[in-house]
Amino acid sequence: MACLARNALLVARKSLPRCATQFSSMPDPIEHATGLEKRELLAKVAGNDNPFDLLVLKRGPGTKENPNQVPSAFDSRILGCVCEEDATAVNWMWLHQGAPKRCGCGHWFQLTYKAPV
Amino acid sequence: MSKHNHPFHLVDYSPWPLTGSIGALTLVSGMVMWFHKNNISMFMLGVTILLLTMFQWWRDIVREGTFQGKHTFKVVNGLKLGMILFIISEVLFFVSFFWAFFHSSLSPSIEIGMLWPPMGISTFNPMQIPLLNTMILLCSGITITWSHHAMMEKNFSQTTQGLIFTVTLGIYFTILQGYEYYEAMFSISDSVYGSCFFMATGFHGIHVIIGTTFILMCLIRHMKYHFSNKHHFGFEAAAWYWHFVDVVWLFLYITIYWWGS
Repeated sequence: MACLARNALLVARKSLPRCATQFSSMPDPIEHATGLEKRELLAKVAGNDNPFDLLVLKRGPGTKENPNQVPSAFDSRILGCVCEEDATAVNWMWLHQGAPKRCGCGHWFQLTYKAPV
Repeated sequence: MSKHNHPFHLVDYSPWPLTGSIGALTLVSGMVMWFHKNNISMFMLGVTILLLTMFQWWRDIVREGTFQGKHTFKVVNGLKLGMILFIISEVLFFVSFFWAFFHSSLSPSIEIGMLWPPMGISTFNPMQIPLLNTMILLCSGITITWSHHAMMEKNFSQTTQGLIFTVTLGIYFTILQGYEYYEAMFSISDSVYGSCFFMATGFHGIHVIIGTTFILMCLIRHMKYHFSNKHHFGFEAAAWYWHFVDVVWLFLYITIYWWGS
């Protein structure tokens, strides 16, 4: 009798994982998503965690010959330059497509085209 | 759209804030008319306008989020913060009723016999239906958590079951509260006890009904495959709201029903 009960328990335990997968019918998050949400998820899969360039860009040398490249999908974008390391204010300016632009502090910036997400 | 290079959802023009405001004004004016002229027609008109507004506004949000993919990580983060702030404001709303209750009960005035519950008030037995209601809400907290974990593990049928149980428990709670109100030995106009009791438990009851509707909508959306195991903020917001309603009940039960009787 005890043996029977133990067998019944074993059978019940064996069938558990099968049950858990049997009812799995929820959609895959990327398959399920659409529009911008899907493009954001696909960018993440491709290894791009910052598809909308929301993180602060680290400034390079920023000379006239070698300006800082600022990505944008538009003809122009607003740029904020932290002129010195311990500056308490951000210097905001418009950056347009074409020739590089010089901030008051001497750093140069240039708009580069980046395909939208 | 082709040049869409930001994650923010710039919403379209919508008539629903306007119709919602008109509905709220009609509802409140209708309540004044109801209480003073005993005529509920304007109140019902306000309820109708509000229900139509709510249905169509939330239908639009479902379309934007699920069918147009406007809800990026940044947008969902904004929705989360909005829901948290909304629930905090709701907590403070209930704090005011508890404040009124403690103000009146901790030092009962001469007018009510310097007693709490006041002279002549026969209160509910907290070990009967109110205790059952406490168990119902605690159980519904378990079933909604079960449903959420099932969803995160892509288990469609158990998510459905958990949601059905939660909605059923919510309806059962509302029926029992309705029965308690029907059987009550005091009314809202019976001293400050009746005022505090019906104000607090009445608003809690309305919140249970809203929460049950919210979870019922989640059940319907789940049956229509609106949720994935990673993106189901509508469900999470409903669960947060339900837990908030649950916690308010625990405070109501402990202070007003138990200590206050």
